[in-house]
Amino acid sequence: MGMTAVEKILARACGVDRVLPGDIVHPRPDWMFVHDNHLMATHEEMEAAGIHALHDPDRVILTTDHDVIYVNERAIERGAYNRKAAAAWGVKRFYDVGRGGHGHIFPIEQGLVVPGTFYLDDDRHCTNAGGVGAIALRVGEEISTALATGTVWICVPPSVKLKLRGRLRPGVHARDLGFRIAQGLVPGGFFGIDADYRIIEMAGDLDAFDLASRVALCNSPTEVGAVGVFFPPSAAIVEQSSRLAAAHGIAVAPVFPDPDAAYDAQIEIDLDGLEPQVALPGGVHRAANLSDVAGTPVQHAFIGSCGSGMWEDLEAAARVLSGRRIAPGVRLFVTPGTEASTRRLHREGLLDIFQEAGAVVMPAGCGVCAGGRTGPVTAGETSISTAANNGAGRFGAKDARLFLGSPATVAASAVAGCITDPRTFA
Amino acid sequence: MDIPAGFSWNLRGRCYRLGDDVPHAGGVVPNWLISGRYMDPKDIVPHLFSETDPGFHERVAAGDIIVTGRNFGMGPKMTGYIAMRALDLGLVCETMPFLAYRAALGVGVRVLKDCPGVSSACETGDDLEVDYASGTFINHTRGFTRAFPPLPVPLRDLVRLGGNGGWLRDWRQRQQAGGAAVSPPGVSGPAVSPP
Repeated sequence: MGMTAVEKILARACGVDRVLPGDIVHPRPDWMFVHDNHLMATHEEMEAAGIHALHDPDRVILTTDHDVIYVNERAIERGAYNRKAAAAWGVKRFYDVGRGGHGHIFPIEQGLVVPGTFYLDDDRHCTNAGGVGAIALRVGEEISTALATGTVWICVPPSVKLKLRGRLRPGVHARDLGFRIAQGLVPGGFFGIDADYRIIEMAGDLDAFDLASRVALCNSPTEVGAVGVFFPPSAAIVEQSSRLAAAHGIAVAPVFPDPDAAYDAQIEIDLDGLEPQVALPGGVHRAANLSDVAGTPVQHAFIGSCGSGMWEDLEAAARVLSGRRIAPGVRLFVTPGTEASTRRLHREGLLDIFQEAGAVVMPAGCGVCAGGRTGPVTAGETSISTAANNGAGRFGAKDARLFLGSPATVAASAVAGCITDPRTFA
Repeated sequence: MDIPAGFSWNLRGRCYRLGDDVPHAGGVVPNWLISGRYMDPKDIVPHLFSETDPGFHERVAAGDIIVTGRNFGMGPKMTGYIAMRALDLGLVCETMPFLAYRAALGVGVRVLKDCPGVSSACETGDDLEVDYASGTFINHTRGFTRAFPPLPVPLRDLVRLGGNGGWLRDWRQRQQAGGAAVSPPGVSGPAVSPP
């Protein structure tokens, strides 16, 4: 019997020939990630245990994406604490404010997370790694044990093979598909499977999905219980990652599932007939055809987050906004995933497009999606965004209505002042 | 070491029965405790199940056992489990999302998951006895015994030592005492109940 992608990656990290779903293992990760919102608690827990040094500081990446602009006293203090902790630990890869950007995006762009990488993270949106053919697993607060000892227990997840059939029509984005997939994976959903703690391993017609689309597709399944998504990397992704990784002295060893791997379930979804989707307020799984809610007035719009922070997401929004202005009474926040994307926006003239449209371009990071620290909604408002999640109160007032859509849908809706099919601006 | 006084894998106490799909935020504890990142048990304990059952924390006793239906504690947050551990309560679930299970073990809560039918077979107030190391579940009030998957052996130190913080303190002490490598890479053993 062959192995799934996650089984191969975990077996390698454990130094064994094979692992099986349900095994409890102690893998050695290539990286361990902690973001700015967890670093203080992690450091304090280790200090309380008398642990002042990391097992291997060179395998640790500390990111700053939740509080990029300090908007309260607590954030200022936490930023100062984080800088001291990073220095005390001797972590060279400490990406402070303005350095790097979103911790689930810039490591892929920079070639730190590449096909075959295995890493541990404190945050569940690390599942973005699957877009490039890597596996990242969230261990929450137990990241402190990994930092101290070099490993922490992992239960090998079962895998579900999801075959994509066909091709998305023009104007239909990977996020649209992601909402629909989440609708199928949620308990009682149309796939009829248990997705809890499964790796959703993508198969089928993947050629039309570039890296940004793959990253976008990793986002929503995470919100309904999947522990990860994995795409077998394309030749183009392996080539690009290899070139980037060489600068860090990292050798890329892509991993592909065996043809006779054992899956917990095998499911399929057709792409051809999919229309632009929204996720209705309450959860990413509440997918609906955009046409069902078209015309709903919006006052708040946001493009960014781990689910839509790649360069191509910004490009898709800019194509809609080019030569247009957002509607009176709407505020649109745009958060590039990385500082490199912000510089590229400037170089390629997209910054002008956003600013001339009346959008507010924010510093790279999580943006509005990080609990509404910046650019939140207020009571009674309706928002459409590319946020990772639209549970009540995700970024501001609990009674605000939070719709999700693709970057193009959010841009089109900001221009029209109401939820609008981006194909009308094509 | 931060082991609760009188730690035992065997609990005997009263049943507190819950149904299916109790979310962590708004079900186990109010969402503001989670979003505010409250970690101190004294802040959390008064709010355990407070939105559905005010005063719960004053009526329970150490050793009481929370018995739930399917999909308990949706979400990977640990806030409510900090209160359960502080009150020395046990947890038995028909099913529980894996990351919720991980969060509960990570703060030292004794948990049995994958216990089909357990919620419908019990009522609040029943006299229960649960052995988390063997998986034996006894309802003395209704006179039945069930065998459920026990807490996996490789995870017992984590729970016995009070969760991640306690495990780390113990590891540090062993390291200082010149103990051998802890948690070497590799397969520690199969879980008794794969997710």
